[in-house]
Amino acid sequence: MAAAERYLKPEVVNQIKRLDLRAQFIVRGFLHGLHASPFHGFSVEFSEHRKYTPGDDPKDIDWLVYAKTDKYYVKKFEAETNMTGYLVMDLSRSMGYTYRQELTKFDYAVCLAAALAYLMIHQQDPVGLLTFDRKLRASLAPRSRRSHLGDLLSLLARSKPEGETDIAASLVQVAALLKHASLVMVFSDLLGEPDAVLQSLYRLRHSGHDVIVFHILDEAEVRFPFGGMVELEDPEDHRRLAIDADGFRRDYLAELDAFRDRYRRECAQARIDYVPLDTSVQFDRALMEYLVNRAARG
Amino acid sequence: MTFVTPALLAGAALIAVPIVLHLIMRQKPKRLEFPALRFVAQRHETNQRRMRLRHLLLLLLRAGAIALLALALARPTLRWAGAMGSQEAPVAAVLVFDAAPRMQYRAENRTRLEAAAEFGLWLLGQLPANSEIGVLDTRLGPSAFEVDLGSARDRVRRLEAVAHSQPLTVVVEEALRLLAESDLASREVYVFTDLSRATWPDDEAARLRDRLAEVPGAAVYLIDVGVEQPSNYSLGELQLSAQVLSNRGTLAVETSLSRIGGAGEAGERTVELILFDGDGNEQRRSQQTVGLEAGQSERVEFRVGGLEVGTHQGEVRIAGQDALAEDDARYLTVEVQPPWRILVAAPEPADAFALYLTEALAPGVFRKRGQARFECDVTSLDQLPGRPLDDYAAVCLLDPGPLEPATWKRLADFASEGRGVAVFLGRNAAAVDSFNDAQAQAILPGPLLRQARRPDGDVYLAPADYQHPVTAAFRGQADAVPWTAFPVFRYWQLGDLAPGASVVAPFSDGAPALVERPVGDGRAVTLTTPVSDRPHRNPWNLLPVGEAWPFLILTNELAAYLVGSSEEQFNYTAGQTAALRLDPAQRRPRYTLSTPRGLKLPVTPDLDRNVLLVSATDEPGNFRAQAGGREGFDRGFSVNLDPRQTELRRIDEEHLRRLFGAFPFELARRRTELEGKQREARVGRELFTPLLLVLIIVLGAEHLVSNRFYKA
Repeated sequence: MAAAERYLKPEVVNQIKRLDLRAQFIVRGFLHGLHASPFHGFSVEFSEHRKYTPGDDPKDIDWLVYAKTDKYYVKKFEAETNMTGYLVMDLSRSMGYTYRQELTKFDYAVCLAAALAYLMIHQQDPVGLLTFDRKLRASLAPRSRRSHLGDLLSLLARSKPEGETDIAASLVQVAALLKHASLVMVFSDLLGEPDAVLQSLYRLRHSGHDVIVFHILDEAEVRFPFGGMVELEDPEDHRRLAIDADGFRRDYLAELDAFRDRYRRECAQARIDYVPLDTSVQFDRALMEYLVNRAARG
Repeated sequence: MTFVTPALLAGAALIAVPIVLHLIMRQKPKRLEFPALRFVAQRHETNQRRMRLRHLLLLLLRAGAIALLALALARPTLRWAGAMGSQEAPVAAVLVFDAAPRMQYRAENRTRLEAAAEFGLWLLGQLPANSEIGVLDTRLGPSAFEVDLGSARDRVRRLEAVAHSQPLTVVVEEALRLLAESDLASREVYVFTDLSRATWPDDEAARLRDRLAEVPGAAVYLIDVGVEQPSNYSLGELQLSAQVLSNRGTLAVETSLSRIGGAGEAGERTVELILFDGDGNEQRRSQQTVGLEAGQSERVEFRVGGLEVGTHQGEVRIAGQDALAEDDARYLTVEVQPPWRILVAAPEPADAFALYLTEALAPGVFRKRGQARFECDVTSLDQLPGRPLDDYAAVCLLDPGPLEPATWKRLADFASEGRGVAVFLGRNAAAVDSFNDAQAQAILPGPLLRQARRPDGDVYLAPADYQHPVTAAFRGQADAVPWTAFPVFRYWQLGDLAPGASVVAPFSDGAPALVERPVGDGRAVTLTTPVSDRPHRNPWNLLPVGEAWPFLILTNELAAYLVGSSEEQFNYTAGQTAALRLDPAQRRPRYTLSTPRGLKLPVTPDLDRNVLLVSATDEPGNFRAQAGGREGFDRGFSVNLDPRQTELRRIDEEHLRRLFGAFPFELARRRTELEGKQREARVGRELFTPLLLVLIIVLGAEHLVSNRFYKA
């Protein structure tokens, strides 16, 4: 469980647990809000009895209790969410980048994915994993067993972000791959042609999937902290540009904002959740924030 | 421009360093991996252009900083014409002192003139050795460079106020002329002034500018020794109703009391009229208390009657003291005579014909009270030849008929002794030949031609100007005199006027009406229309009829002119030559003149012209000329300052700039100020400090710009 140790650090787990214990409703809302359960009434765990009130479904009445007490009680069950989740991880070289943070974008994405996987498995939702660079690379079928988390994390730990990437084509492949409506969580820096990426996201959405896009950028990519003359090189296509960083910062940030804004706008239109993140943000906090927002909306 | 260390200019070659750095040795950029390069690429083009511009700016700033540093270290000095590059080189300097009476204004316990002299002595000590030095004041005598520094110091120490002071513009012109004589290249004029408006008259400005243009390179320093906000009371010019009056008349003395400065303080001053009796004792005859705000001026008038025959001197003065004493007193001299006797000759019945004139000159009411200025005796024209004339000051002929040539001759002799003859031509002059013969023409101003008839009544007396003593009384209300209400229907047209004759007042159609001509020491006046016609007998004019106050004034002034009372002058402005007429019968070889300071000077009369001339009228006050003891000659005159000499209003620097035009001048109040300006003019201006300042600004800008670009 080296991978699990690496990514599921105790403090993170605690954080997630806290989230779990302290805010049951959030968890429920998180998954509930994402989708309406297609398999209504398939109960797993008994939760509590409650007095029948007119309007309750008569089939929920616990006749055994009625036989014993001569009173109508309704059985309440812990709602079971049987939504299949897919973690879709970008393995592009650029994801392996960090300028001065502890975590690369990829590490950050993995931590985030691990937390979400833990959460879902804890809720007994099956979670699968897909990684891609120019196309799909590895896949792990969704399971909800606890031991599945270990498999998942070890696969993630084995993956190296070092290829070139084609986000759009890979997402199209994902869309084709998934048979049932699922929750697709995309972890990527989205450094591709936004038109094509958005098209592929739409396609996923149109296939009936719920889509969450975790747009992860390095802190340096968000702040542009460079100074003086710098020559910047794209790690994927090795293009170089020499610029005066101080004079460029304002332009760069404007451009980045426009880019994020476009995703935010267009995703909102397609009812895709767009979550911009950067590696300087504590990801648990980021996740929590997202979940709270989501619950509030859902 | 010159440099103290020109070798250091070579340092400017170091400009090459940033340029080479910029062109060749560009900073090697740090290579960094950066995945989000797409965002950079999109703006790269426009950003690059802007950057290049900024880099160029930075390069310029750095190169500029190096160049400035090299330039500043070379210590450049700006030079202009006259600047010798040294403080020690001898200069030609003229010190001009304003010595007007207003420089006696006392502040901080010294007069402005003392302050100027003190400053001037200090300045003389500062001048380089072997300088040529001139000292001028506003007395404006002959000007020359002093022989040495010692004599220049003496000149300055001996400075004293000049009653008749020239405007400074004139003296500065003279100073420039003196400077032009010097061979020294560096020429300086120092003007010690209180910046009074009166001493920098606008109308002299053009000439001053011309003169300044002729002496290029001359440095003009104005040293302001004045008080910025003077506070003073002053008396204006005295106006006397007459300088010669009869002992039955009243003397009116009018002046103005003005106040300048001292706003906020209660301003009340008493003005006194003092007359001196025969022993020289003061007698306060009248006084008035006047309250004044700052900047205000109020008229003050005194009336004195019952003066005895003789010369009376006095002064009008402000009681108390103020900063400038020179304008607190004005002096006056008048002569009082017995009433003048005038003989009026008219056709029979003489009394009836002469009535208008005699009533105008000596109204019955005044005669009864003994207040009439004139005593008129009436005689008929027929009796005129036999009438002795010696007792009379003037003779008036009313509408004379033909007279004997001997009578005309007698009248001419009478006039030439300094007395007056008036002829009022009328209908009796029809026999023009008698009037046009040689003897008559000695009195009349020109030949009689014909009678002009103007029955429509559209011709009247129309004095063109009011400069002549006869018409001067109308000057104040010239527009209000209703000449048109007194039409003239007939008058005598004159031929060409005799040499010396002049028209005192013409008719409205331009023909001469009142004409005078000098006869010997006296004068003859002719009116071409009579003043003796009755209104109901087809009169020649209506001059004396109805509300005839213009006629009244005109005849009185005419009579005063005829008897010579308006001719004599006893009140002069400082600098004018005073003239006292002598009685030909009692001439003496020497007279003693007492000056206001109590000096007694012998004066020799001009016996040819029967006059005592005094040109030393430099001090204001009362002068008295005497000869022959108590019963002998005793007359006097007064000298007053021109009110402009004590005018304290100041001009500002803006006004000075207008006066000097393009010519640069320096205005200084303190010694240090003057020293700085002198150094600048003589040595030129060291540019080290300003250059260093610019360098600091450039370096600051460079720092700012580079910091913005290359923040580490």
